[in-house]
Amino acid sequence: MMFSELGKKSLEEAVREGASYADIRIGKIFDENLTIKRGVPERVTLLQKSGFGVRAIAKGAWGFASSVDLTKNEIVETTRRAVKIALASSRLKKKDVALTPQTTQRDKYTTPLKRDPFKVPLDEKLDVLLQAERTVAGHSNLIKSSSAFFRAVREEKLFMNTDGSEIIQEITWCGGGLLGIAVRNSEVQRRSYPSPFRGSFSTKGYEFFQTLDLPGHAKEVGQEAVDLLDAEKCPSEETNLVIRGDQLALQIHESCGHPTELDRALGTEADYAGTSFLTPEKLGKLRYGSDKVNIVADATVPGGLGTFGYDDEGTKAKQAYLVKKGLFTGYQTSRETAHELELEESSGGMRADSPLALPLIRMTNINLLPGDWKAEEIVEDTKSGILMLTNTSWSIDDKRLNFQFGTEIAWKIRNGSKGKMLKNPTYTGITPEFWGSCNAISKDDWMMWGTPNCGKGVPGQVMYVGHGCGTARFRSVRVGLIK
Amino acid sequence: MATKRLQNVSEKTVELALKEKADQAQAASFMWDSALTRFANSQIHQNVASKAGGVALKIVIDKRIGTLTVNTLEENRIKETIKQAVKIAKITPPNREFTGLPKPEKWAPIQGAFDKDTANCSPDYRADIVGEAIDTAHSKSPIVKAVAGSFSTEMLAFAVSNSLGVSAWAKISLASINTTVISELDGSEGFGYAEQSSRNVKDIRPAQIADRAAEKSISSVKPKKLSPGEYETVLSPLAVGTIFNYLGYIGFSATPFQDGQSFVKYHLKEQVFDRKVSVKDDARDEHSLIAVPVDGEGVPKKAVKLVDAGVVSERSICYDSLTGGREKGKRSTGHSFPPITSGFGQARPMPINVVAAPGDAAIEEMIKETGRGIFVTRFHYVNPVDPTKAILTGLTRDGTFLIEKGEIVGPIVNMRFTDSMLSALKRVPMIGKELEQGETATVPAIKLEKLRFTGVTQH
Ligand SMILES: [Zn+2]
Repeated sequence: MMFSELGKKSLEEAVREGASYADIRIGKIFDENLTIKRGVPERVTLLQKSGFGVRAIAKGAWGFASSVDLTKNEIVETTRRAVKIALASSRLKKKDVALTPQTTQRDKYTTPLKRDPFKVPLDEKLDVLLQAERTVAGHSNLIKSSSAFFRAVREEKLFMNTDGSEIIQEITWCGGGLLGIAVRNSEVQRRSYPSPFRGSFSTKGYEFFQTLDLPGHAKEVGQEAVDLLDAEKCPSEETNLVIRGDQLALQIHESCGHPTELDRALGTEADYAGTSFLTPEKLGKLRYGSDKVNIVADATVPGGLGTFGYDDEGTKAKQAYLVKKGLFTGYQTSRETAHELELEESSGGMRADSPLALPLIRMTNINLLPGDWKAEEIVEDTKSGILMLTNTSWSIDDKRLNFQFGTEIAWKIRNGSKGKMLKNPTYTGITPEFWGSCNAISKDDWMMWGTPNCGKGVPGQVMYVGHGCGTARFRSVRVGLIK
Repeated sequence: MATKRLQNVSEKTVELALKEKADQAQAASFMWDSALTRFANSQIHQNVASKAGGVALKIVIDKRIGTLTVNTLEENRIKETIKQAVKIAKITPPNREFTGLPKPEKWAPIQGAFDKDTANCSPDYRADIVGEAIDTAHSKSPIVKAVAGSFSTEMLAFAVSNSLGVSAWAKISLASINTTVISELDGSEGFGYAEQSSRNVKDIRPAQIADRAAEKSISSVKPKKLSPGEYETVLSPLAVGTIFNYLGYIGFSATPFQDGQSFVKYHLKEQVFDRKVSVKDDARDEHSLIAVPVDGEGVPKKAVKLVDAGVVSERSICYDSLTGGREKGKRSTGHSFPPITSGFGQARPMPINVVAAPGDAAIEEMIKETGRGIFVTRFHYVNPVDPTKAILTGLTRDGTFLIEKGEIVGPIVNMRFTDSMLSALKRVPMIGKELEQGETATVPAIKLEKLRFTGVTQH
């Protein structure tokens, strides 16, 4: 049976069982993971996932059931199970679930790409990784561990709901990165390229991986990891902090991305990730940052890791402001939460990490819009400060206020120029104070960073999200807490 | 039933792989049925059930290794998968560190690891349990504003076969409930949390859990700010479990050990923690919830002494077959992950059945012996800052209190700690006599002579 016939069967069954609304997602995921570590292929893995998930509202409450078994019988059984679960939910409801209106869609979306990463021969990809990894390792015998990563993912999915939408999507992304770890006595320093946690990723074809040019950057990775062993420690002080894109991306993720998820603000993630300091009564009133700060959720940016045609409840990809000229102006929403705040439409942020999982409000691309500086000018304009790059540790409280980040590397800025290298840099702050102190944002080095490892939900899901940003400067930030 | 079917699938898969000219082959087939009822704002808002399953296949052709995971147990699709995995293996460069798939070893099933009622739990039963938790919390006080949490019941079965004769299987069930209670008084919120996990759903006591969480929440409203600094600290078992889980990840795993990133590597045979601290990883311990007799490669799970009377050594490290083969004189300790894969692919070998030795103190005694200190219910968002020095950072959450002159005097605003566990666990004056069973760690409360708090948040 074709997917759309199976989908139709499920929706009919849901209605017959008493559902007032139902949707089904049927899909396949191909996930290729390559790791070269210390000269050997540590991982050459292909993961193939397929299955479906049915979401239903019955008696005003939600139920969801999923299975890997793509047969007509299983579709019917699982649909019945979803409705049965919804009926169990309805026993503990305070009010009926309602969804904000949505335009019915019959459409197809495919990630535009030049070269299909799955059609590139495996040995060609492994050769690039091997060459890059050997260059990192060969820099010095202080490099005790070095790795090169490639990953490509393709998701083929069908969405259908009882409102009549039918959307087919094929989303492809790929990318990779490098890691070098230098060890001397008991001291360890690490350097990553182009960003930590296995690299950066983009909804583009193999051409994206090629532009990363891992072999061309491998020497610098090895060099900096080793140089860090002899670097001065980051001082403990309050200073001007300049943050480059590969760290700023995570700062945006943790301190703006998560707290503007409306499910968190409404308390429905209270048991796990927590709630949010951006509660609904602050919408349109709270000063989140300085007037230079503009942040959007945008699922339409070409190449963004969170770019798609439609979200997993059929809302068309769009751009929505979260922070405008420093003012907190919007949330990332679902149809249900948008209705709760009486918003006209969903922001289109419902995503699931597989057809087997329930869609949740997830980041798409959360972007800090470019300012009017050149990255270089920001440093030149700074009398005294610290420049930090590349995240290595992160922690933020359950309302997303108190954060502390560590980065791989930093440099002192003295009289407008980059000075001594600093190791073990960290900084800490309180979200609105920190963004309130933002006094310069660059435009020339603005780019999309893609991170495939955002965790959320119970049961846990891992989502791939994007962040557009360049370099930014923050006044009076506490740095270097670790002695 | 499930394990018999999975054994057949794994054996058949290995057989077919050898026909495709693999030198060695390993198949781990699995079924994972899970259901979870989630609640927030005192009502059910997410309620899910999922049937997953598949085969993780490893093909070896002269040290060239290809792995492929497919989520089907259907023979025809597995056949395709084998052909694809063979193709991958053929063009992959050889892994000279590979010393062969694991050889068969004696193993025995773990009695009582699987409970049928837990595996077959209905959504109505889950709604009953959740309803009891919500009602109990609200009945404690009118200032209880919202109750959140989740209640899950699941079963996992897997069977591993390889061409060297390994044939092993595991089947477990797990029921877990956790409850977060939010109270509000004069616009000030207070949070409280408690959880319980068991192999048997009938052991779950929602009223007790909700009662404990509500108690903490009610007494957490109107917290005062305390200045950062070093404090005597009483950690509840939940907080202790989080610390040992992180130490397992950054310290007791063979991966960071071999990368030179584990603190254990630089303190071999040293007394790094207080003599009273002894911790093992043991799937066969009666407290262990991921009670699988073998790992994802079919290797029997061995008990590993992670910390022996405060001392760490080479014997504290958890290996899978690849990391075991990399070091002379080492072999797998049975710590390859069970074959439930996500997009992340295989995880590093690490302890998932941590059991700490109990002491002889009651939590009340720990508080009584504290001059001025902090009581921590739970940590949030812990991450390593410097793994080699075992420096962790994180925040307190869901019930943080000031202790003065042997008594809890009131709630405090949540604080950030940043400290090396090598110094925090160096002096542990008291260890709790009761163990609390968590999904991956069963530990007591402990009292630290000092923990370094480096920041304060706003709630
Ligand atoms: Zn995240």
